[in-house]
Amino acid sequence: MKQILVIAEIFKGRIRPVTWELVAGARKIAAILSQTRNIPGKHLPCIQIIVPSDNPKPLAEKISEQTGNAVIGLQIPGFKTYTSDIYIDCLGQLIREMTPTHILAAHTSQGRDFAPGLALELNAASISGINHIRFDETGLFYSRPVLDNTKNMLVRPDPDRPVMLTLMPGVFKPDSHKKGKTKQVDILKISFGSDACENSRIQPTKILKRPCENQALKGAKIIVAAGRGVEKKENLELISRFADCFSSSAVGASRPLVDMGWIGYEHQVGITGTIVAPEVYIACGISGSSQHIAGMKDTKCVISINKNPTAPIFRHSDICITADVLEFIHAFLTLPDPV
Amino acid sequence: MKILVCIKQVGDDGDMNRFDAHALEEALFIKEHSDNTMPEPVSVDIVTAGPSTAEKIIRRAFGMGADRGFHIVTENSDYISSFVTAFGLSAVAKKTSYDLILTGIMSEDMMAGQTGPMMAKILNLPCATGVIKIFLPLTGKTIKVEREMENGFRDGLVILLPAVLTIQAGINTPRYPCLSNMLSANRKQILSLSSEDLFWEPIRARESCIGMEDPEKARTGRVLEGSVADKAAQLFSFLREKNLI
Ligand SMILES: Cc1cc2nc3c(=O)[nH]c(=O)nc-3n(C[C@H](O)[C@H](O)[C@H](O)COP(=O)(O)OP(=O)(O)OC[C@H]3O[C@@H](n4cnc5c(N)ncnc54)[C@H](O)[C@@H]3O)c2cc1C
Ligand SMILES: Nc1ncnc2c1ncn2[C@@H]1O[C@H](COP(=O)(O)O)[C@@H](O)[C@H]1O
Repeated sequence: MKQILVIAEIFKGRIRPVTWELVAGARKIAAILSQTRNIPGKHLPCIQIIVPSDNPKPLAEKISEQTGNAVIGLQIPGFKTYTSDIYIDCLGQLIREMTPTHILAAHTSQGRDFAPGLALELNAASISGINHIRFDETGLFYSRPVLDNTKNMLVRPDPDRPVMLTLMPGVFKPDSHKKGKTKQVDILKISFGSDACENSRIQPTKILKRPCENQALKGAKIIVAAGRGVEKKENLELISRFADCFSSSAVGASRPLVDMGWIGYEHQVGITGTIVAPEVYIACGISGSSQHIAGMKDTKCVISINKNPTAPIFRHSDICITADVLEFIHAFLTLPDPV
Repeated sequence: MKILVCIKQVGDDGDMNRFDAHALEEALFIKEHSDNTMPEPVSVDIVTAGPSTAEKIIRRAFGMGADRGFHIVTENSDYISSFVTAFGLSAVAKKTSYDLILTGIMSEDMMAGQTGPMMAKILNLPCATGVIKIFLPLTGKTIKVEREMENGFRDGLVILLPAVLTIQAGINTPRYPCLSNMLSANRKQILSLSSEDLFWEPIRARESCIGMEDPEKARTGRVLEGSVADKAAQLFSFLREKNLI
């Protein structure tokens, strides 16, 4: 039987919610396959979720309970935390014995780390960062952002081999969980190569958390966020003055400003910063990369100021202001108060 | 110790991929800070696969301080698979036994983040992606790094060399090319290689690009019209209506 495999994302012994999005993606693929190919019911593609762990049983049971899909607990003796070497080797051993058409992982720091190597290990095609699953008469194809998020590229994998896909987090909406219909849970034991995990070429030392006092961002009704379009560190002063116009506001920033040391990490909005959802988000000179959008997409009202009318941020905005951001803020600050 | 940095030309201006500039900076920094601690001197080579215009970023890399530059000369092409690129770059990497291979976390045009981890698999090397910190000085056998995860988490790793690392922005501030380097850069030879020089067998992509689309709108996007002052006034009244100002 053809399988659609989902690699559950486990972090610090817990199932990360992106796993449910992967299951939703797998269901979409299964639905398309059963709709487009005239295959009798019993050959319908089956979804199997793989959970790597040193003790996968409780995690596997939980996933099976939540999804109603079959789950394979991949038991790796001596496994402590994720490393690409262990994942590629152990998942490779397991999946080589199966006949998957699709293997799904998350486009996260973990999925991006092991998926390309696992694809090569399995002689599979590999497509990363998928934001749409589509089909035509020839079969399935996928869309992924390219060119600084200004375009989507449509990519079709060769039909004669499996394909490894990493799905953009936050795109595929998890189905409401099916409770009660628990399917089969198998536990399979696979050792890391001929070695024990202690002999892996990659040794995890410890997981650190960057201290982040971001209460200001979390509590604000309005976030005024600065991007590379503010051009100079000195211009952040102007952003602060703009933010001061509002009673409950905070200053946010895109990542490059933090990387360049213009502003502290606690101001960074995005997938590797803080996730915010204020009433109003004012993006000042921010292009709208997927990593930034993921950090503010639940905002009630997004206002963007950008000098480039085709900037991707405008697709994610309720109000679009095409202007030089510095000029615009000056104009705003010098408005004759209409009251 | 020999380091190879993979750099890609991107964008309309044909500049060096931003993340690759961070990778090159890190390699040069390692060179400058490990020469005393390593048994042999550290060298930094760069490689790029691209059309003849890619010479521009090789010169820039020389200007920043790279030692040798390899150029896999390719045809102009709309779509190049990370898979094919990884094989080409790996073929160059195999010619010298590198201790460390650095790539960017992703290219700004393809945004795949696949080339580095694929090279690692082809070369049978360990790999860590999204590296945000490398601990110096290096001593030779292993390298201690931190890779970045979501929400402020970092993963500390000790990796056996040789290894492939993909570099995340924020690890450093890339230097500008310096004048004396730029002058000697013009005398430096770029080692050009055709794909025939490298491929022991033709590598075919396992996927193909079948089109491009404009991404759909996630929100309605009302566009404010008028002069800058008009737009500012409109925004003011909008926020006033909402009682936010
Ligand atoms: C794994 C990973 C994680 C990441 N995590 C994050 C994250 O958490 N948060 C984040 O923000 N990024 C993150 N990034 C980086 C992200 O990919 C983008 O590089 C970044 O968001 C771009 O920031 P920007 O919009 O400020 O800069 P740019 O993309 O350079 O955009 C600048 C914009 O300003 C406009 N502009 C220029 N001058 C002016 C002017 N005078 N007036 C008005 N507009 C002007 C330009 O038209 C452009 O649209 C991550 C990247 C990776 C690979
Ligand atoms: N044509 C190329 N030449 C040299 N390096 C490349 C090339 N394509 C990709 N790379 C490297 O691989 C990284 C990831 O690219 P990608 O897989 O396209 O996202 C880039 O940051 C570069 O370091």
